[in-house]
Order: sequence, then C-alpha cells, then structure tokens
Amino acid sequence: MKRLLFSLLAVAFGMTQALAQGRSVTGKVTDDKGAPLSGVTVTVVGRDTRALTDNSGNFSIQVAEGARSLRFTYVGFELADEALSGRSTVNVSLKPANAGLEEVVVVGYTTQKRKEATGSIASVKGAAIANLPVQSFEASLAGRAAGVQITVPNGVLNNAPVFRVRGTNSINLSSQPLIVIDGVPSFQGDVSQNSAANNPLASINPNDIESIDILKDASAAAIYGSRAANGVVMITTKRGKSGAAKVTYDVTVGQTEAFRLWDVLNAEQYMTIKNEGLANAGITNQKFNPTQDASGRTIDTRWIDYVYRRGFQQTHTLSVTGGNESTKYYMSAGYTDQEGMLKANEFNRKNIRMNIDHSANKYVTLGANFNFSNEFNRAPNTGSLPGQAFSTAGIGRIPLVTAPNVAPYNNDGSFNVNSAGLIGVMNNQTGQVGFYNPIPIIELNRFTSENNRINSNVYLQVKPVSWLTLKSLYGVDYLNTDNNSFFTPVHGDGFPRGSATSTLAKYRRWVWTNTANFEKKFGDDHSVNLLVGNEQQRTLSEGFGLNRQDISDPNYTDIQGGWLTPNPAGLFRGENYFLSNFAQLRYDFRKKYFLGANARRDEYSAFGPGNKQGDFWGVSAAWDISREGFWEKIGADKVFSSFKFRGSYGTVGNIAGIGDFVSLSLYGSGLYGALGTLAFSQAGNTNLKWETSTKTDIGVAFGILNERVQFDVTYYNNNIDGLILGVPQAPSRGIPGNSINDNVGSMYNRGFEVTVNATPIRTNNFSWTTNLNLTTNDNEVTSLVPGGAQEFVTGTSGLEVANITRVGFPIGSIYVVKTDGVNPANGRRIFVNRAGQRIQYTHVLPAGQTSRWTFLDGSTAPAVSGAEAVIFGRSTPKYFGGWDNTFRYRNFDLNVLMTYQGGFYVYNGTKAGLRDQRFWNNSTEVMTRWQKAGDVTDIPRVVFGDNVSNGSAFAQSQNVEKGDFLKLRNLTFGYTLPSKLVQKAKLNGVRAYVSGQNLAILTEYTGPDPEVSANGNGNSNQGVDRNSVANARTVLFGLRIDF
Amino acid sequence: MNHIRIASMALGLSALSLVSCQKDTWLNPQLTTAISDATAFDTRDRIAQQINSLYAAVKSGLYLGSRYIAYNEIRGDDYNNLRTNGVTGFQTWNHTIVASTNEVANVWGAAYSAINQANVFLDGMAAKGSTVVGSPLANQYIAEARFIRAMCYYDLLQLYARPFWDGNGSKPGLPLRLKGNKSSGNNDLARSTVAEVYNQILQDLDFAEQNLPANYADALTNTTRAHRNTAIALKVRVNLSMQRYAQVIAEANKIVSTAAPFTAATGVAHALQASIRTVFTTYTTTESIFSLPFTANNLPGTQNSLAFHFAPAPVGGSEYPLISTGIISRPEFRADDRRRTELLTVNSGNTWINKYPTGPVNTDYAPIIRYSEVLLSLAESIARTTTGVDARALALLNAVHLRSQPTAFAAGDFATNDAFRNAILMERRIELMGEGRRSPDLLRLGLPLPAKANVQAIQPSQAEYIWPIPDTELINNKLMTQN
Repeated sequence: MKRLLFSLLAVAFGMTQALAQGRSVTGKVTDDKGAPLSGVTVTVVGRDTRALTDNSGNFSIQVAEGARSLRFTYVGFELADEALSGRSTVNVSLKPANAGLEEVVVVGYTTQKRKEATGSIASVKGAAIANLPVQSFEASLAGRAAGVQITVPNGVLNNAPVFRVRGTNSINLSSQPLIVIDGVPSFQGDVSQNSAANNPLASINPNDIESIDILKDASAAAIYGSRAANGVVMITTKRGKSGAAKVTYDVTVGQTEAFRLWDVLNAEQYMTIKNEGLANAGITNQKFNPTQDASGRTIDTRWIDYVYRRGFQQTHTLSVTGGNESTKYYMSAGYTDQEGMLKANEFNRKNIRMNIDHSANKYVTLGANFNFSNEFNRAPNTGSLPGQAFSTAGIGRIPLVTAPNVAPYNNDGSFNVNSAGLIGVMNNQTGQVGFYNPIPIIELNRFTSENNRINSNVYLQVKPVSWLTLKSLYGVDYLNTDNNSFFTPVHGDGFPRGSATSTLAKYRRWVWTNTANFEKKFGDDHSVNLLVGNEQQRTLSEGFGLNRQDISDPNYTDIQGGWLTPNPAGLFRGENYFLSNFAQLRYDFRKKYFLGANARRDEYSAFGPGNKQGDFWGVSAAWDISREGFWEKIGADKVFSSFKFRGSYGTVGNIAGIGDFVSLSLYGSGLYGALGTLAFSQAGNTNLKWETSTKTDIGVAFGILNERVQFDVTYYNNNIDGLILGVPQAPSRGIPGNSINDNVGSMYNRGFEVTVNATPIRTNNFSWTTNLNLTTNDNEVTSLVPGGAQEFVTGTSGLEVANITRVGFPIGSIYVVKTDGVNPANGRRIFVNRAGQRIQYTHVLPAGQTSRWTFLDGSTAPAVSGAEAVIFGRSTPKYFGGWDNTFRYRNFDLNVLMTYQGGFYVYNGTKAGLRDQRFWNNSTEVMTRWQKAGDVTDIPRVVFGDNVSNGSAFAQSQNVEKGDFLKLRNLTFGYTLPSKLVQKAKLNGVRAYVSGQNLAILTEYTGPDPEVSANGNGNSNQGVDRNSVANARTVLFGLRIDF
Repeated sequence: MNHIRIASMALGLSALSLVSCQKDTWLNPQLTTAISDATAFDTRDRIAQQINSLYAAVKSGLYLGSRYIAYNEIRGDDYNNLRTNGVTGFQTWNHTIVASTNEVANVWGAAYSAINQANVFLDGMAAKGSTVVGSPLANQYIAEARFIRAMCYYDLLQLYARPFWDGNGSKPGLPLRLKGNKSSGNNDLARSTVAEVYNQILQDLDFAEQNLPANYADALTNTTRAHRNTAIALKVRVNLSMQRYAQVIAEANKIVSTAAPFTAATGVAHALQASIRTVFTTYTTTESIFSLPFTANNLPGTQNSLAFHFAPAPVGGSEYPLISTGIISRPEFRADDRRRTELLTVNSGNTWINKYPTGPVNTDYAPIIRYSEVLLSLAESIARTTTGVDARALALLNAVHLRSQPTAFAAGDFATNDAFRNAILMERRIELMGEGRRSPDLLRLGLPLPAKANVQAIQPSQAEYIWPIPDTELINNKLMTQN
C-alpha cells in the first residue's frame, strides 16, 4: 500500500514536472565500496530542481530540456558532477572526502596514497590552520595530529613554539623536527638577537599551505636520514588547479588580551605586609607609607594596566589560482599586522607567493615556487624568552614585583624615577620599592628583528618513458635578519648611558636535488616504485654588527646617532655542507601486501675526518587484511570496512643545532688592553658523530560503519643512542664552557598513539565530524656519561635550578627541595633535607639562637640549600592530544578544537617571587600569612628581606604544581551566505565567521597558564614558569570571499 | 625522444661533475675565525699572544677585573646595598650565599679557567713552545704563567677555604690542578690541604721571582705584566695571609729600602706617588705594582666593572655606596684625609668611593697590588714580631699616612704594641678600600665579618665565614667535599 502511494505521488509529481518541461532521470548513488548512500542531494546543474536518494541510494529527478549534468553532494564525500549525455539512468560512486584513507601524503621526495603508506605519517590540511590568530603555522598544529606536541611557551608574538614529535628526542641538540618547505629544509628556531622573538617559520603565510605531512617513524623519515630523528614535517604550498581563474580574499580582524592574570596586593595590603615584615625583622629605620596623587587620592597602582593592553590585529590574503591543461598557477599576497596583548609587541608580515607549473610537452614539466616575505617583529623586554626570566626590566615581571603604593608618574607629571635609575620610592622610607618604572622602558626602549627572506625553487622534470621520471630541483633560502635594539638613557637597563645594538645576520642556503623515479607494474599483481637520488645542501651564515654606548644627546634614538663607544656585536661566520645519496623502494602485491625501504647516506662537514659519513635506513611492511579472501568468509567485512596492519623499523639521525666546527679544538683571539691575545677556547672532539634514533612502529588502522568511524592505533618506540652531550667537566678543570661534547647518552620515548576519526551524525542538513587523538609518552634517560655523573641540572636563565636529568628518570624532571608547610608554632618554613630531617628557617636570628637553621626542637641544624633538592616529577606531558569537532547545520558551521596535556608538573617560580619578602609585591594569598602561634597556613611569618622561606634562593616543592590542562584552543563559528544572495553580488561564495583562541582553560594550575616555558624550547628545562607571560586570548572576525 | 634522453643524461652528468669538483672543499671547511690547537705554538707571535691571554683570563669581570674585588669588599662592613639584586652580589653582602649561588660558581669557574689556561700554556711550552721562542724568553713565559697560576690559587683560598691559622693549614684547601686540560676525563680530584696549596703557590712564585725579568721596556708593561718585583710583592701578600711574618719581612725587604723614602732598589723602582689620587688617574706609575688594563675597546662588560659596583650613576651602577656605620664613620679616617677629600664623592645622599671615576665607559684599571700595601704589610709584620712601636714600622706607616694626612703618627700616640698594630690595620683599611683586601684581611686574622645595616655579624666559627664550594664542582668532581 505504501509503495503504491509512493508511486502515485511520484507519478503525480512527475506529471506536473513533465507538463512543465523535460524528462525523468533515475539512478543509484553508492560509496567507493559499492554501499548505497542515502540522503545524497542531487541537483540539476544550473537549475533549482533537486532530489534526495532513498535508503537504497536510489533517486529520481526531473531534468529540464537543455540541462547537461547532475551534481551529487553529500557530507563527508567529494562533490561529483556527472554529465547526462542523454542518459536516463545515472549511477554514481562517490569518493569520501578528507576521509584519510584516500588522501595523498608526501613521503619525502615523492607522494603516495595514504591507503598504501607503510610508514607512520600524520597529515593536517592547510584549511584547518588557515586564518587563525597565530604568526607561524606550527603554532596551530596543537591537538590536530597524534604524536605531535605543540606547546606555545609564552604570550610574546612570534615566539617559536616547542614542537615535538613523539617526545623529546634529544638532550643537547634540537628536538624540533626537520621542516621542509616544498623540498627545501627551512631555517628554524628564534633568529632574533634581542627581545623581539623572531621565528622564521612565520615567513610562510599559513593561508598558502595546502598540506602538512609529518613523517614520524623510521621508515617514513629515513629518507631524510641524518636529520630525521625528531620527525620530518613536509610543508606543501598550494599549487594551481586548471580552470578559470579563482580569486579568493580572506580577511580577519580581531583583538587579543591577557587573561587569568595574577592577583597581587593593593597598596593598603602591600603596606600592611611589608611593614609587618619590617617589624618582624626588627628593622626600625624603614617604613612603607602611602603617597597621595595630585588630586589627593592615595596612590594604588594596578601595574598590570600599564603593561597589558587590548591588541588589535588584521590579516588579509588575496589569492588567485587557475590555469589550463599545460600551465597552472597559484599567486597570493598576504598582509598581517598584529598587536600583542603586551604593549609595544607587534608582528607584521608582508608576503608574495607565486607557484607555477608548466608542461612543455608530453615529456617535460617545469615549474617554480617563489616566496618573498618581510616580517617585522617588535617586542619589549618581556622577561619571557629563554634567558630573560629574572630580567629586572622584563615587563612581564614588573607588574608583579613593583610596589602598588607608588605611581608611574610624579604629581608634576614627570616619570617617577630616581637618580639611581630605579623607580622612585615616593613616601616610602626604604631604599627600593621596585626595579624599573615600566612606562619609560616600554615607551623609549625599542627591540626589533626584521626578516627579508626569499624562499624559492625551480624544477625540471623529464619523463623520457612512462615508467621513469627524472627530476632536478634547485632551491634557495636566503634569510637576512636585521636586529635593532635601543636602550634609553632615561631609565631602565640603559640608564644612565643608553646603548644601541644593530646586527645583520645573513643565512644563505641552497639545495640541489636530483632524483630518478622508476614506477612500474609487473602483471596485475606487482607494483614497484624505486626512487634514487642525490642531494647537496650548503649553508653559509655570517653576521656582524655594532654596539654603541653612551649617548651624546638624549634626542638620539638610533645607532646612527652620536655615541661615545663603538664595539663589534653579533660577529659570527659559519658554513656547513651535506652531500647525500638516497633510495626509496616500494612494492606491493595486489594492494594487499606492501613493503617499503628507505636508505640515505649523508656526509656532513661539521664532523671530523672519518666520522663525516653516516648511513640511515628504515624498512616497513603493511598488510591490508580486508583484501584477503577469508576476510569476507569470516564475515569480518560486515564489521570492518577496512583493516590494515603496519610495522616499521629503522635507524635515523639527529644533528640539528650542532656547531659547524664542533669537532675542532680551537684557540680564539681577544684583547688584553691594547694587545692581542690567543687563548684555548674550544675543546673539540674529532670522534663526534650523529645521534642515532632506532625507531620501531607497529600500528593497526581500521574503519567501521563504511569508514564513518576510523581508528588508528600505533605503538612507537624510539631508542636514542649516542646522544651528544656537553659532558660536564668539573669546573676546576677550567675547560672552556665547562663541558666537552661527546656521543654518550641514551634515552627512549615509547608510547601509544590513538586516533579516532568519525562522522557520528550525517544528515542532509546537519553533520558532525570529529577527530580525537591521544598520544602517550614514556620518556626515560637510560645513560649519560659513562663513569661520570649520572645526572645534570639545567638552570633557568642561569640563575635557578629546578630541573634535573638523571639516569632512570624522564629528561628534565622537576628538581626541588622538599618543604613541609609552615610550623604553626613559630611561622617558619619547614624544609626536609635529603636525610629526611625537618629543618626550619628563620631569616632573622632571635637572641640566643646561633643559626638560622634549626630542627623543630630548636637545636642547630645543618643549612638547607639547593643541594638538598630531590626529583619531584616529570616536566613534560605523559599524555597529550586534541579533540577537534566540526558541526555543520545548513549554512552554519562550528569548529571546536580542544587540546590537552597531562601527567606533568610545572615549577611555578613566579609564585616564589610573588611570596618573596623583600620589597617585592606579593600575591593576595600572602594575606593569609602566619601571624600568631597556632596559625595553620602555607605562608610563613613575613620577615622583611626573607628570600629563602618562599623559594627565591632555591627552588622549593610548595611551588610545584600539576600542569594538567584542557584548553578550548579554538572555536570558530561560521556562516556561508546562500549562493542566490551571493550570485546577485556577482560573487562565488562568501563565508563570515567569528573565531576565538584560548577561550577557556580547565586546570588546577594556579598561575595564569600551565602551557608556559621560561626556557622556551629547551630540552632539559621544560615545565618552568618564571615570570613568564601567559598565552593571550584572541577573538577574530573573518570573512572569506570567492570571486 | 632522443633529445629528451640526451637532456636527461646531461642533467645527470652535470650534477655528478659538480659533486666531484667542490665536494672536498665543502666537506672540510677551513675555519677563518680561529686558530687550530695543532698550530697554536707554531710561531713566536702566537705564543706571545697566549701570554697576553693569561693576563686577560684573570682580568675577567667575574674575577680580578671587578667582581672578585667587589665581593671581597662587600663581605665587609663598609658598604650598603641599594639594589637587593642577586645578580650583583646581594647574597654576598647579605651573607646568604649557598652552594648554588651564582657568584660561588662564577668566581670559582673564572679562576680555575685562568689556572687551566696557564697549565695548557705550560704544557704547550714544554711540548713545543720553548723550542720555538728559545731561551731565555721561554723561561720568562713559563714564569709568567706560574705567577698567574699562583695568584689564582691564592685568591681562591681566600674565599673557598678556611684561613691558614685554622689548624695551621690542615683544613681542606683546593683541588690542585697542575696539568692542562684540553679533553674529557680527569674530573675527580680531591682537595689538597690549605698548606699544600700555599706551598705550591710559593713554589710557583719562587720560580717566577727567579725567572721573570727585572723590568720591561715601558711603564705600561711594568704595570700590566709580572716582573720580578711583582712576584715578590705577591709573596708578601701570601706570607701575610699565612701569618708568616718573618717571611713577609724577608720578601718585602727585597723591594723596600730600609729607610724613607721607601723604594725598590732593584728591578722596577716602586715608590709611593706624592698624591694617592694620581694612582687612580695615571694607572702606570711605579706605585701600581700590578694592575689590569681596560680600554674603550676592551671593556669589563655589563655589570662587571669596579665603577659599576662602587660608583654612582651615571659613572657606575649605584650599587654599593659606603654605609654610614662603616669606615666613613671612623674618627681615624679624618675629615681632612685626602683619601676622603679626593677619593670619596657624595651623590644623592650617599657617599661613594671615587677610586674608579671614569665612566660611564669604565676604563679604569683594576688595581691588584699597590706599593702601599707592601709597605703596610711590612709595617704590620715588623710590629707583630717586635714589641712596642718599632721605628721602621712607624716610618713605613707614616710613609702611607703622611701623603694623605698632614700629621704624622708619633710613637707616643700608641700606648701598646696592640694599639700600634690596630693603627696599621686601620690605615690599611682606609688606604686599600675598594681594592678587595677587606675580607681577606679580616679572615687572615680570624676577625668576625662585622654586622652592618640589618645584616648580622658572621663569626669565624660560622659556616658563612667562607664561601661554600659550588654545587657544580661537587656534582662533577666526586672526590670534592663541601666546606
């Protein structure tokens, strides 16, 4: 009956349509495996007519006269246009879109279908990271791919994120992966020589990126041999697509601001605490007093307001892409101007990219990539970059340390500064109430680092026969960095003389790659692909500059002005050269059994004779069990729509960050007065060679429900040997730098990666796609110097030790002196030394007591120092990942990305500073200090001058906190204007969106942001928050217009 | 098709040819900004420059160029701390130094770095250098290196070991490193006793005295390089620290005439200048037995000059003014003393030492040994080995006193030998303030480090009386022990 009714309706419907015009076309829509797809939208191209497929995938649609093709759209699948050509039955098979398994991945010098890949490769589409409020693309990778850990260590614009693939894989060299942009390894790290962070990866406009492929295991990465131990990140920029020129304009405007800042004492609280401290210390000739401002109000300064701001930002990208069968082009111009949440922090990039490909004839293809970019970075001394943590001029620290009962300006409007170069004390009767007044140093000091960079390559590809492709690629990467700093003589670090430093650093690299790729199918069963290649890479670097001190006139603001002293600055010169041969073999049998092998031999100039050459390799295999005959027989195909096992093993190297002349023992020149000197300056090691990482990778990937849910579970094990360590020498040996490099250490990183891609809901109007990834990391240092120290500590800015790397423990473990609260009887901090003794400290000796350190019974105890520190826990996450969700409802889309890290501790050194009992301002928790016998609190009795009880003199356990966090990293809500409306405006598409970055954090961490690192990218000193500026919160409004 | 194949072959061949012709040069780059250790002793010029580098090593701002001198001053009771800055000595001033404090590792490292430079140089001379330069220059160079080594060990003892009087040198001293270190290994070395280290210092200085030239061609070199009298002057200081007063007298007598005007009869003719101010403006007078030079092109470095520590802005960093309760409050330091009227300055309500007046580009030399110190050491040693008021000791005291004061001391001014010795010590404190002698002078006599501001006195029995051994040494040298 139902069927009859349906037919009748269909007939009635059809008749009316038939009366109007045209004919009926029917057909069936299936997926690539032949399973029917229901709810697919079928439209007649150019008309309003549309239909949906039923539960069996069947459809029927009325087609007008003159209609030429049908369009099939379905969430999660690629759009398909099918020409009618007079047919009345059109059956279509749709390809899954972005579904992972059909993707192409870049595997070094070639590409491969993801389905056939035997190595472990994570991919991120360029679209996912476009138009986000970051400076360089990798800052957006957090949470987007298993195995990839991104930590943005502070809120300074364009600081280089901590980028780790499968854990920290080196101790002394870099643990950053190799980043290859269109075949040319890029310069990495912070290339600035002053406070303005300058990550050269920001040269690439994220909107120009087509895809990012991260080679994680040995089999995939071995093609980059000696540089592959930390993984290899292949960046592919957008290339032209044939068709009429397509113009796209992307614009975002937004604002950024700080959040979760510390609560510090106000003026009244400050005076209460400090005067109480003076009284407790028995100091009678000092006092903290209020001061009235010009209008008679008591000064109560919120210093944070003078340092932070709401920063504005805008980004524009205009691109045009198109071409015909033989010539294709992609051109874009980008402009971004971003203000940081900190005053005087700016990032500006202008870039132009042109990518062109041309097929001259059947045999010859050639092309070029060209990218010019100019990046201008400006920042104050933020105190947040590595080495700056204790800077007294760090403007992240100033609002925390400066007394709130003094003002930035005197009542006459002048800067509140004194003749000793410090902020003035106003009515306070004490020598000092802060370090610097932030206003003049923000306004008058200047630190900039500007890049001019050309990153280009040309290639020629010849295909003399169908199975052979010869390719020659020549690429250059020329990076010139101008660094300028100016310290005003008025106040701050430059007081009273002023100084200026300007340096120019030039980095020039060329790469020439020649490959031959043989690809042949033998019979129906055997596919073979063999790539052989030769590559050379030469890098020259040099720098020079000037440091001038003692300004002649306060009007000068540049190095070109009048100064009394000239001194050289930023002098360096280096060169290195790689000569490499490599091969890659891929074989599969009926797309069922896959084998792969990669090998690379590198020769590198930095090593001594006999050690220049290294061999690296990886082998892999995969088994697509779903293609086995028995798979269907046992009915497994009804559960699993795909099922593949994968495994690999191999050895790759690491060399990143090693000096160009590290193998040589050297004497360097200097001065003794007016005379030249020559002194032993470098203890080289001719036996030095690559660090090697032996990687095992075992994985299984399967899909269920027609690939609607896909799983990938991988176990990885990186055993790293021959770690190059600066073997610490007893300082009494007097070796320059107190260390000598040697291949001595070993370490492992092990863990699991789990990725789930799913489309839980998919209807015509609403869809939800989700990606959940989790990576676990088990890191342990297994050996250091044989016969030598089995541990070493790593400092923060050379002043404080809170990390130790010890055999048997994870790298850079948090290392502090244990404390056990505050003695309720007398308000003294109780320390626990290594012997387990509880020892209390008083900063001022009471009468009759002979030592500041006593046991709880009052008897004299041995002093406690940093030497009593013990390991507290990991400083790097034991697990991390992300959860990325995209919802679409009609024309609305919503993307929610959450990232998380867990299983690690942060040494909150900022808190130690905020409880310090010198003149420093304190956090409001200090109001709960011990005041009388019986008080139970974690804040000791305040004694003015006490820098020991709260953790300034050495790191203490009460300042260690769990760092686990879940961040709402990114939320984007978009609306695509209806095409009717858009077409009226002669446009092809318009999407408007709002996007928020770092909107919320779920964490028990009491500081602003557990995702900070006062030591930036350091391997063995992560997990330290020392006056670091937290990540900003940014909200954008964006528009994308397709012309 | 053929031309395609030819093109491909040409492409391949050109790639190969480029590889072969440049490969070796690029794989073995020649360093153009340093000298290989294999050739460092090949020429006389290189060896001569290495001698300069030994002096440059002790001139490090972390060591004798400034900070070692500053730390030994601020451990005493004459200065206030305005900055509470841990980077510029606050913990030293405050006596809250621990094994992990920066300056503990920095001074240790800088001095031992200089020791190793000297040792590496001595090894290189033995292996090749002596043949290259020939005798007697080789022995002179060796003597200079041993002088430097002796000075470093002496300076380290003053901060990192108990004074000699404590157990007569039997307390733990320093790891005594006498061979150059250029590669790994050899980390563990136990501490020799204080006496053993002093013994080595004296051996080095004896050798230096015998092999150093009597003088150099010009006044600059006479002040900035060690000559025979420099070694003798250092031996005076060393023996004084060991309370071996007879030896002090014996050594000092080699360079001090028996009666005023006191001068050195042989070698460089050391003598007091008419005005003490001259010594701090003209750095190379015969009074400056040994000083370390700075020039606009060879500056002490940020926060590393003596002026930075002791002078007010804009010349210095306004770090350590004289404290009102210290030396400037003492009646012995009279208002008309030229060391007060000419070598102190008042700025923003604080009184500052004006011995390092050049700035803000701080090019004042660092004074290491002055002739007035030798005279006062001799005076003190004579006083300690005689009774009452010895005439020559009094003459020596007056030689220093009278050039800055109108009135001479008379024997009758001192009721006892004790009072006389105290006057010599007070004169020494006034004369040498700002030159790094205060803490060593207190320690060698077992006197407490006096209280100041809100910092309590440190008794000789307290651990804080000397510095701890740095953590980094304890961790990497397993035979090392903490103080």
